[in-house]
Amino acid sequence: MRQKKVEELDKLVSSIATAGDKLPTVERRQFLSQGLSMLGGAAAMVAGGTALAATTSKYAPPNVPPWTKTLGQGVIADPYGVPSPFESNVVRRNVPWLTADRIASISFTPLADLKGIITPSGLVFERYHAGRPEIDPDEHHLMIHGMVDRPIILTMDDLMKFPSTSMIRFLECPANGGMEWRGAQMTKLQFTHGMLSCCEWTGVLLSTILAEVGVNKGASWILAEGADGALMSRSIPMEKALDDALIVYAQNGEALRREQGYPIRLINPGWEGNTCIKWLRRLEIGDSPYYQREETSKYTDLMPDGTAREFTFVQESNSVVTTPSPENPLKGKGKYWLEGLAWSGRGKIKAVDVSLDGGINWRPARLTGMIEPRALTRFGMEWDWDGSPALIQSRSIDETGYVQPTYTQLRAVRGSSSIYHKNAIHTWRLHADGSVTNVQIS
Amino acid sequence: MFRFPNLAWPKRILMALALAVLLASSGLIAKPKPAGHYGYGKAATAAEIAGWDIDIRPDGRGLPDASGSVEDGEMLYEDQCAACHGSFGEGVGRYPVLAGGEGTLTEARPEKTVGSFWAHTSTLFDYIRRAMPFTQPSSLSAEDTYAITAYVLYLNDLVEDDFVLSKETFAEVAKLPNHGNFTPDPRPDVDAKRCMKNCKDPASVRITSEPTILAEEVAEDTPVKAASPQEQGAEVYNGACAVCHNQGVAGAPKLGDKADWEKRLSAGEETLIKHAIEGFQGQSGFMPAKGGRMDLSDTAVAEAVKFMLAESIN
Ligand code: HEC
Ligand code: HEC
Repeated sequence: MRQKKVEELDKLVSSIATAGDKLPTVERRQFLSQGLSMLGGAAAMVAGGTALAATTSKYAPPNVPPWTKTLGQGVIADPYGVPSPFESNVVRRNVPWLTADRIASISFTPLADLKGIITPSGLVFERYHAGRPEIDPDEHHLMIHGMVDRPIILTMDDLMKFPSTSMIRFLECPANGGMEWRGAQMTKLQFTHGMLSCCEWTGVLLSTILAEVGVNKGASWILAEGADGALMSRSIPMEKALDDALIVYAQNGEALRREQGYPIRLINPGWEGNTCIKWLRRLEIGDSPYYQREETSKYTDLMPDGTAREFTFVQESNSVVTTPSPENPLKGKGKYWLEGLAWSGRGKIKAVDVSLDGGINWRPARLTGMIEPRALTRFGMEWDWDGSPALIQSRSIDETGYVQPTYTQLRAVRGSSSIYHKNAIHTWRLHADGSVTNVQIS
Repeated sequence: MFRFPNLAWPKRILMALALAVLLASSGLIAKPKPAGHYGYGKAATAAEIAGWDIDIRPDGRGLPDASGSVEDGEMLYEDQCAACHGSFGEGVGRYPVLAGGEGTLTEARPEKTVGSFWAHTSTLFDYIRRAMPFTQPSSLSAEDTYAITAYVLYLNDLVEDDFVLSKETFAEVAKLPNHGNFTPDPRPDVDAKRCMKNCKDPASVRITSEPTILAEEVAEDTPVKAASPQEQGAEVYNGACAVCHNQGVAGAPKLGDKADWEKRLSAGEETLIKHAIEGFQGQSGFMPAKGGRMDLSDTAVAEAVKFMLAESIN
């Protein structure tokens, strides 16, 4: 974003002469001299490191920028609105060496550039096992069968007639941060924590559909299956299905995005993203788990003694500082708004603490904005940086009293081969020049 | 096994469920079963269910009536699987390893394969049938799935070379060696405390690890809007063609195989582009139209072909 901005700024600055040309002579002289003195003044301020915000903009008051003196684009210039070109660097990215190809692969949400708790639909991380299918909603069907009184097939029209519910919930891949189990490896926040997002999801409670088909006695597990080339499948326990599992057709107020399972997906709030089957086509009600590849070969947690934990559904509480971060370095000492994100698959975030000395001393941060259960929660703190190096950490506490652990605590129990569910306290190393790098500390 | 701290079950639904179960089990509901509360959708027929109900369970429920031998599996595997998973299941490049790794689960770099880690043979049959071969999922017959499953077991030294897998013999191999080594979720398993002051000795704070790879080497991919035709060609290739042409899957000419591409180019670039757009059955295999990506424009496919030629021949 920054590089792009500098270039754009250069362009604007070079157009200042043109703008000046169009002004009456007196104003013109004033315009140019003010522009120049402003540049000089700004430079002086930066050098002197005064508390006042420095600007190199030629259009700061009292000058009037060209966009104020011309007409802008008319309506429906972009029938579907897109972000400003100045934000063109805010995109999903992938890490090619993680997977063999881009079809069974993952991309990451640019967390450092996001504000609030809602992830824009187009920036939600992607995870595919056979690529993203293109599905005509008129040709999509959801079949519910197995241990039920009335096996049924629903079209999208049918589904839309059921009572609708919305909830804001995070969605996280259980492998989020998994590359860091053995040591710090990724260089940016986007890659250390970016298999994470939070949206408003709208759809029909799974419990409503289960009541509709009449679940038989003894039924305890549900196989959820997608319509993609991987026929992605997971077993979901009945308790979750009856609690808050949602069959989702809309995301952030519009139809679900293709990347997220258009036309429908399952959302199991607070649970592994992998259980939230996309392009949902089938729900089979049964009396035991189905032991699919994604719940034995993958998404099981290998322990140091060689055993593995299965059906580890909950995403435990986690947090990360998003400013400062490698993508958001500091520009010299002074006052900043330090902020980050916290979340818990078990409920609401109760508190977040921040440490600047690598976990020796902590102070509570402020929770800002909405605090929803199983949703991203913003925290922030005013901070006057004296310019000295720091080890910045955040630690979340959820409403069950669970405290986010350190790497040392987590590894003492689970070793470092389990790939999934790494929710250790993260450390950013802030250098004297304001740059930020990923480290792990003892 | 699981913890549900906030069970806010919709009470009405639960009661409706309980009532439905009660009625059903007490035989009070007359046949045919009445519609649900809303009555939306249509009843699923047995034939409709059979077409989609593809899962196999650990006890073999769901297995089709058919069989397949290790012997038949070998050829099928070589043809359809080996390009990515290797002739011995050793895995090519970053594609998954399917065999070996026994005894490595407690090592620093565990190798999790069908033989070393998986629990149920049903999972193998089920997964191959639902998702493999990667570029043509849901294409294997029941016989071929049995044969290939048997062969993957053979690659893991779990059956002899004369083994025939069927609905009947399944029970003999239903449990894989690592069966029984999976445990329920014990979390929360780490009891951290919320200390606020002097929580550790400042002298103990050391940096234990930092990324050692330079940011540039990590090569985090920023998909740029392709500016030039060459860039567009590379982008299309990576997204739609590399999956077969990188490894030579199913007889696809490999990127960089100069001899193969020169031979093909003798038919003229236009012909190669036409074949890529319209699909092509050649001597070595079948090239699906546009690599199966019908959303791509003809120009995009043409740029990909030009990119492939430039990468392979120059
Ligand atoms: C084009 C390359 C390719 C071909 C050909 C291919 N596979 Fe795969 N296979 C993959 C990829 C990629 C994955 C992982 C998919 C994912 O991550 O969801 C995979 C996963 C698997 C797995 C699960 C591995 C694990 O550890 O979980 C099995 C088993 C498997 N393939 C068997 C087969 C068989 C049998 C065939 C032939 C019928 C086959 N594959 C053909 C690419 C391929
Ligand atoms: C599912 C695997 C697969 C995918 C995906 C795929 N190809 Fe191929 N391709 C093949 C095979 C197999 C052949 C060899 C056919 C033969 O000559 O027998 C081939 C051959 C070709 C040829 C040579 C045709 C000739 O006349 O000799 C070109 C050019 C080509 N592919 C381009 C592409 C492009 C461009 C894409 C992506 C848009 C693509 N392929 C995607 C499997 C694939």
